Amino acid sequence: MILNLFINILEIIIGLAAGLAVGGGFVAFLTVLGIIPRLIQLSRSAMYSQIYVVSVITGTVFGTYMSFADVNWDQPTMVLILWGAFHGVFNGMLAAALTEILNVFPIISKRIRMDDKLLWLLMAIVFGKIAGSIFQWTVFVK
Amino acid sequence: MADIIYLRMKKNVELNRMQRLYLKDIAYISAPSALKSEIENTFIYQVTKKDRNIIIIDSFMVIDHLNEMYPALELQLIGPDQSIIRIKKVRKTPNIMLASGVWILLFIGTAMTIMNFHYDVSMQDVQQKLHYLLTGEEIKYPLWIQIPYSFGLGIGMLLFFNHWFTKRFNEEPSPLEVEIYNYQQDLDQYVSYYENRLNDTKPFH
Repeated sequence: MILNLFINILEIIIGLAAGLAVGGGFVAFLTVLGIIPRLIQLSRSAMYSQIYVVSVITGTVFGTYMSFADVNWDQPTMVLILWGAFHGVFNGMLAAALTEILNVFPIISKRIRMDDKLLWLLMAIVFGKIAGSIFQWTVFVK
Repeated sequence: MADIIYLRMKKNVELNRMQRLYLKDIAYISAPSALKSEIENTFIYQVTKKDRNIIIIDSFMVIDHLNEMYPALELQLIGPDQSIIRIKKVRKTPNIMLASGVWILLFIGTAMTIMNFHYDVSMQDVQQKLHYLLTGEEIKYPLWIQIPYSFGLGIGMLLFFNHWFTKRFNEEPSPLEVEIYNYQQDLDQYVSYYENRLNDTKPFH
């Protein structure tokens, strides 16, 4: 009984510590990529930055719930489409921010001397991503 | 000995409509009081439709102009090198629909990212194994680890953002606020170079 309690407390401490590390790292990653400032600038809503923080936190905790809980809901296809679309937009921003942070475009366009054709390179990457994603889900995983 | 006029350009100026810009709109001036109001009301620029959203007034142009008008004065520039003038359309309140869209985007995006992360690192397997190591029993849902983990996740993020809703833990700005500021700085730097008439470089595209 005492041992059981001890193990429970130990597990709580391990879980909490793991969560702190992952949570801190996760938002540090998001912040460094600068997705939230970009969205704030696009929607001109700097005064709402606090509620976006709430969105990020509740979203992450909700995702954790879905990862570990064995629940299922009876949702229409429309919800799936919306969910997928939002996920896609977010993932796209993540990927774009990552290439931007790593200075892929400035370096590659300088190397091949195509500074003035930057938008064409950008479009190539955009369509490449779309094609790759569709290929993966319709052909590759089957 | 000539009088010295000190000029400090205002870094960001927001206008609601097209108007005539006087020196006092774009700069702070320190001058002998007899001259001050005269200089402050020097006409600098007429904003027209052609300027669209952003105008850069370079301090050099202001000094050049003042030099011509008051050859006897000595001008000293302190502070920013140029003013960024933004012409805003009237819309002051941000779009609630747009903000809600951004909110949902961030919510779903982060939920999916953390789920992908959990599967990617097989977190549930690790937690089950850890539970087995500690207790000797195999269970599918090691809730004693998972629930504190979820709380830890939220707390870790709150600590990072330095906020609990509108209450902040200390005076320091949060990394998010710093990031927003940096982003604005970068944009300002970009426009003050490419929109400046004294630089004849054109941006890509």
